[in-house]
Amino acid sequence: MASSRKSRSARAPPPPRTLVLDNGSDTIKAGFVTGEKTAGPRIIPNCLARDRHRKTYVGSELEKCKDFGEIAFRRPVEKGFIANWEAQKEIWDREFFDDKAPQRCDPSESRLVLAEQPNSLPALQTHCDQMVFEEFGFASYYRGTGPSFNAYHDIQAIFHTPRTSETIIDIPAEVILLIDSGYSHTTVTPILQGRPIHPAIRRLDVGGKLMTNYLTRVLSLRHFDMRNETYIVNEMKEAVCYVSLDFKGDLEKTWKGTRGERREEYLTGAGIAKDYVLPDSHKSFHGVVREYDPGASSRAACKGTVSTEDVLTLRNERFVVPELLFNPSDIGMRQPGLADLVMQSLSALPIGLWPGLLANIVVVGGNAKLENFIQRLQMELLERVPDECVVRVARPADPVISTWLGAANFAKHEHVEQLAVTKQEYEEHGAGWVARKFAAGLGVDS
Amino acid sequence: MNNFGVIEIAGTTTKSTPGWAYVPDTGPALAAGLQPANRKRAARNQPALSLSDLSARQETRIRKDLEALDRDNHKDTNIAIPPKSGRSRAQNKHTPNVRKILQSQKTFANHLDDYQAMLALAESNPGAAAAMNAAQAKPSTSTAATPKSASPAPTTSSAGGGSKRSAAAAKRAAAQEKLEQERKKATKAAPSRPPSPSPEPSPAPPAAADDDDDNDDNDDEDIPMPDATPLPPTATATTTTPPQTYPRESDILPAYPKPPPRAHPGDADPLLASCGVPPLPSDAELRALMTAAPLSYLEARAAWAGAGGDQARYPARVFCAVCGYWGRVKCLKCGGRVCALECLEAHREECAGRYGL
Repeated sequence: MASSRKSRSARAPPPPRTLVLDNGSDTIKAGFVTGEKTAGPRIIPNCLARDRHRKTYVGSELEKCKDFGEIAFRRPVEKGFIANWEAQKEIWDREFFDDKAPQRCDPSESRLVLAEQPNSLPALQTHCDQMVFEEFGFASYYRGTGPSFNAYHDIQAIFHTPRTSETIIDIPAEVILLIDSGYSHTTVTPILQGRPIHPAIRRLDVGGKLMTNYLTRVLSLRHFDMRNETYIVNEMKEAVCYVSLDFKGDLEKTWKGTRGERREEYLTGAGIAKDYVLPDSHKSFHGVVREYDPGASSRAACKGTVSTEDVLTLRNERFVVPELLFNPSDIGMRQPGLADLVMQSLSALPIGLWPGLLANIVVVGGNAKLENFIQRLQMELLERVPDECVVRVARPADPVISTWLGAANFAKHEHVEQLAVTKQEYEEHGAGWVARKFAAGLGVDS
Repeated sequence: MNNFGVIEIAGTTTKSTPGWAYVPDTGPALAAGLQPANRKRAARNQPALSLSDLSARQETRIRKDLEALDRDNHKDTNIAIPPKSGRSRAQNKHTPNVRKILQSQKTFANHLDDYQAMLALAESNPGAAAAMNAAQAKPSTSTAATPKSASPAPTTSSAGGGSKRSAAAAKRAAAQEKLEQERKKATKAAPSRPPSPSPEPSPAPPAAADDDDDNDDNDDEDIPMPDATPLPPTATATTTTPPQTYPRESDILPAYPKPPPRAHPGDADPLLASCGVPPLPSDAELRALMTAAPLSYLEARAAWAGAGGDQARYPARVFCAVCGYWGRVKCLKCGGRVCALECLEAHREECAGRYGL
């Protein structure tokens, strides 16, 4: 008892190094913060993969894989939450704790800052805490919601707000509405002074995985059976898909017309059609996007040469797939689109906060890289909010690692000292106490 | 082993086992995680069918489609962890908790079902639920802003609570209830004190000792272990902020530091006046918002308007099943949508093949 009292009055100095982890469903973003120095992040595929030769790759070994045909994945993180610790431990072991690990880390002398998705299940949170302390034995640990780490950026720089040299950059940012659109879902989180407003967090179950699978289904219906080629379809999605600013018009342009009719726009491609050359698994292992070439097939027939490459002509597939974010009901999902999601989140808050939140909307996550995503969201929001409100939507330079960079800034900030829990504290008070402490967060007056 | 003299009494507790769980059957099932509208009895419950309503068969098909879209792989695969090659890190002994976690084969869906069962149990039988999530301090009993989450939501490890401990925990939970009632009475007696919107359970539940940690010796004696306060105690002290209007002095959202823009001759023009910026919420309101407890996984899911989340803002758009253009024509056989004759013919081949017509 005496020792614990002592440790509470004068806490041991914080460990010199912090491992910052954004443990996503698709990729882990990992790096170290030592003092003021930030190294990283490294992006590690968070999966066990097996290719068609039945060779298994764990985590970053996937880089060695060349042929992604018929590759199958096992993911330890489901819906953003670590569900299978057996697989997750294996990946973490290989990446961080083994002797030859690429990012070697000694847990007993490190602090772990782990980003999790909001609204997790308590049982999974407890599992996480128990694993961190009892299995890996980190000296100090904080588990916080990923979106709120984004408040530790210089947000106004993302918006290019004009400012003078004496403007004080406040970190954490005063007010943000953060949209995190990742692999398994899209969440909207209002954040005040770095504290997420929990009653207003809303989730839409549309993410990168659903869009990739939808593209797979559409292609399998119209072109080839791609159902076993998730990886290849995902590459295709990232290369060609865009958010349409004029859905009706674009759909009209890509329609072939009634029977016998071939519309001019359809034949020329109207700037929308693109050719995608599939990898053949012999010489090429990644697909290539090409401008649509209307006469290609007839010319090949004239020459009598049969092209050996498989070419997909993508027309409305390019914008119908990301459209799911804005209209999930297109595939029968009973959920509102992203703009309505933001409005639902706002309606849980006093109207006095709306102007601030609407003027500071930041979009992070892999889907934010979709072309025109920001513009479409801004357009739809302007239709829904009062005229007087300024709506600004922006995304950081690299939306994928934004949460990680925020968490790294957080690891240097004084807040981490208030929030982190040491191993001694865990051993003394138990997992329940730790969970409550993390759930309580910063409070207001600190 | 004689269980240290503790006699187990049969009750309505649920028992959790890896992979599946006994669940008390209380009333209609809660909304499922992915696609909550359960319209099994749609025909019976609806006064009249309208054109836009889907048949039960279509509903099932959509649900199955969505489930398929939610999968990681097309086929079920079982990728085993490759054997460790030349690993020097010694296989240290796992603690019981870790062993249990590592061996658990539960998926997220299983965990979600468990959680829902726990919530259902908490609604129907609060005592048993309290026993289940042994000594879980109720989150934010005093936060008026979140009445939903004030129910004894299982916020920590429930799997840890074995039947061995349930009897003691139930007793403790009962004691805590009593204590809380007393506390409520006390606060009623002192009406001048506004409710403190602090996130942590208010300072007096000594009964809520932790026994999530598997220290068995900890269970025998009820040492009152007050919750650690992550904040300095002065912070939770009741602050009385009189409601103010914008611009004002706020501790949480400080006012804009620079002087306001210069006056313009048109400022007084009634035609140019806007309705203005709505007043910022008071500090007390902000405080309550910022410290409110998190919603549960299902509560955070956005849903359509309407009672059962059943009413979309706009009618659903329909698309051609073949080419993806607007679905303007209905197939007479299956009711699927196509755009025009060419696609209808393509669809018919498939449609006939599908049903053998």
